[in-house]
Amino acid sequence: MLAESQLSRRDVINGLAAGAVVLVAGRLAPTQVFAQAAAAAGTALNAWVAIAPDGIVTLQCAHSEMGQGIMTTFAAIIADELEADWSKCEVVFSPVAPAYRHPVYNWQFTGNAESIRSYHALIRKMGAAAREMLIAAAADRMRVPPSDLAAREGSVRHPGSGRTLGYGELAAAAAGKPVPAEPRVKPESEWRLVGGGRSLPRRDIPAKVEGSAIFGIDVKVPGMVYAAIASAPTLGGKIANVDRASVAGTAGVLAVVPLDYAVAVVAEHYWQARLALEKLKVTWQPGPGGSFDDANLAAMYAAAFASDAGWATAEAHGDAPVTLSSAQRVIEAEYRSPWLSHAPMEPMNATVSVTSDGVTVWAPTQGMQMTQIVLAKVLNVAPEKITVHRTFLGGGFGRRLLADFVAQAALCSKAAGRPVKLIWSREEDIGRDWYRPAFLDHARAALGPDGLPAAIHHRLVAPSILAPVSPVPVEPGTVDGLAVESLVEHPYKIANRRTDYHMLQVPIPTMVLRTTGHGPNNFALESLIDELAHAAGQDPYQYRRRLLAENAAALAVVDRAAALAGWGKAEAGRVHGMAFADCFGSYLCQVAELSVIDGAIKLHKMVSVCDPGRVLDRVNATSLIEGGVVWGLSAALYSAVTFANGHVRERNFDGFRVVTLPDTPELVTDFLQNRPAIGGLGEVGPVCVPAALANAVFAATGRRVRSLPLAREGVFTIYGKTFS
Amino acid sequence: MAKFTFTLNGAPATVDIDPSTPLLWVLRDHLGLTGTKFGCGAAQCGACTVHVDGEAVRSCVYTIDSVEGAAVTTIEGLSKDGLHRLQKAWIEHQVPQCGYCQPGFIMAAAALIAQQPKPSDADIEASITNICRCGTYARIKQAIRSAVMP
Repeated sequence: MLAESQLSRRDVINGLAAGAVVLVAGRLAPTQVFAQAAAAAGTALNAWVAIAPDGIVTLQCAHSEMGQGIMTTFAAIIADELEADWSKCEVVFSPVAPAYRHPVYNWQFTGNAESIRSYHALIRKMGAAAREMLIAAAADRMRVPPSDLAAREGSVRHPGSGRTLGYGELAAAAAGKPVPAEPRVKPESEWRLVGGGRSLPRRDIPAKVEGSAIFGIDVKVPGMVYAAIASAPTLGGKIANVDRASVAGTAGVLAVVPLDYAVAVVAEHYWQARLALEKLKVTWQPGPGGSFDDANLAAMYAAAFASDAGWATAEAHGDAPVTLSSAQRVIEAEYRSPWLSHAPMEPMNATVSVTSDGVTVWAPTQGMQMTQIVLAKVLNVAPEKITVHRTFLGGGFGRRLLADFVAQAALCSKAAGRPVKLIWSREEDIGRDWYRPAFLDHARAALGPDGLPAAIHHRLVAPSILAPVSPVPVEPGTVDGLAVESLVEHPYKIANRRTDYHMLQVPIPTMVLRTTGHGPNNFALESLIDELAHAAGQDPYQYRRRLLAENAAALAVVDRAAALAGWGKAEAGRVHGMAFADCFGSYLCQVAELSVIDGAIKLHKMVSVCDPGRVLDRVNATSLIEGGVVWGLSAALYSAVTFANGHVRERNFDGFRVVTLPDTPELVTDFLQNRPAIGGLGEVGPVCVPAALANAVFAATGRRVRSLPLAREGVFTIYGKTFS
Repeated sequence: MAKFTFTLNGAPATVDIDPSTPLLWVLRDHLGLTGTKFGCGAAQCGACTVHVDGEAVRSCVYTIDSVEGAAVTTIEGLSKDGLHRLQKAWIEHQVPQCGYCQPGFIMAAAALIAQQPKPSDADIEASITNICRCGTYARIKQAIRSAVMP
């Protein structure tokens, strides 16, 4: 494996294991200095709720705000159970502390569409517990039993007498009341802020349209200077020599910081750092990936597929190989998804101040605990000496789970003896990412006499996407549970099904990207289902209905999507393509409507119907699905990274193309709430888009595209006919 | 180093700086206006869009020596009194997700509607060429449409 950063993957994992037990004790004073609403001083009732004498309630958001609206919905869940007055609630980003860790993984991060579904039960209880303590304090003051009292919108009321006490008056006494072991959460019928089709204006939006929201790149701290960075030009390359004299006397330059696989220049101003970095003479050792290219990669995937070794079975029900060997009719196909960069609009950056007293970080991070642990290791400082403030994130998409860029900023600060803001160029951001690797799924299906699949056998070759972000090691030869998502445990009723997985080892850093394994695997599975339906001479929608016949909630989702799209009733010249997913605890069905104009496709409409169990904020949920569709369209139509001469060819948005405004179709989005448990939304929206689109392309042209992105297969939209 | 004088959000501004410095970094690092964002450094994404003499420009490739004597408007100075009608529409339609690219979109849209008070959908598609990775384009279109409605 390449030394992509001074922390190898293994080091990161070891760091996690070692550091996970020694963390900063929870501190209730908010550490988020840039939340627009300055935190009110107050009495903490628990780790999530503090109330000031003036009645201002401070609610802790355990997560990072990267556009998913979490700081609003997360806080609203607590406020609803608390019976707080929402207009008197302020939301702050929590410290990195055990209280805020994922209740199952015991790990604080923002990702995998987990922020609501994994914390919902916990934070409802925390809000309810605080409410019961406030009621207990009011009962003392009014000398009535707590059962005679009702909490509502920031006060406790005694209906019998009409007496009312505000939360601000009660907080100090409430903090001394016993913490209820099993607080009673409100029945859903009494929710006032979330659910029931409600929506709250997002707390972060005004600052984001005024230009006053503070993202990582906007942080300013006293004495701060700037760093620019250039990585080795080839995969795994290292510095052979840095000629510091080449920038001697260059305006503003304060330090040249060799980082083994990269070099940074620290200067008074960012542009000075950039100019000096261009002047700096560095010679590089090419490294093991020095001449690596697409042909090498293709050969590695082919060799892995052909090999008998390295496979692990991710799922086996019935006996798919035996059924296939005796089947009358076998459909066989290979589906490919490309290498992808995350490319959030805010390039990687971090501001770090390393002093003898401790380390302070201001970073747009999804990996708050990872950041603390990685810095502790890199700087050899105790984790409790490291304070991590998280800013707004200009997109994340998984990339900011890692702390490589924060560690670089820390080393620059240490070298310069000043607080340093390190900013990657876009070329570094796309050209030196930890990529979502290519997926190759070879699928074989046996059609039974009814035309339905009697067996499906997937053989998937893909590098691990989980390894760099996993708190526990992910060993070669085992199953990466994220990499096989959507191929396994899907709700289609198929008696014999099997998925084998080969964790390919590649000299390229790989990791999760929004949609994790569901994205590439849904493209494979849902293209295959479409192919099987056509092979059986059946309608693809009705075919899916037959496979989901025993799952009422899933059926309702495909039925609603078909109804909204007018399946089978497209206007002349237009066609539909459908795909369905069970992902992140939610069901999704999407229907693409397109026509072909002069050999190019015009996407008219994308219908999305999602069942996440409960929709807590209708407008925000719609926003996440709508935006997800556009994200999925970029992946389906345009985006890919490729390799030549040991480096990534695409370095900016001219090469790494994404969808722009004209390619955005009409978006029709609806929700159902039949699933029993609450599901995720942030990663769901893009999942079915590539298959729905490819299936519609087949319906329109008879051409089956089994490799993404479509533009690289010669399928263009009317806006994207040119392709570099 | 050289001295450059221009008007910034209606007030005089002077900087003494390398003439090749992009306006973006002058605004962000020297003049403290961080609403204008760095996205690509190559005039491809539009996150850095500001107005120079009323025209939308991509400030990441617009060097400070071209700004001498000009009037520069950033997101912070888009409206003299409260929010611009586009900013109000952006809030009403809950447009931003991560929000990083939105000042650039708003500045591009403001230049468009200043020149074409009633842009058609085709006008919007042709002139709003910024990139949003969160995919808020549909709401951006709705917000522009609603802002120009009588």
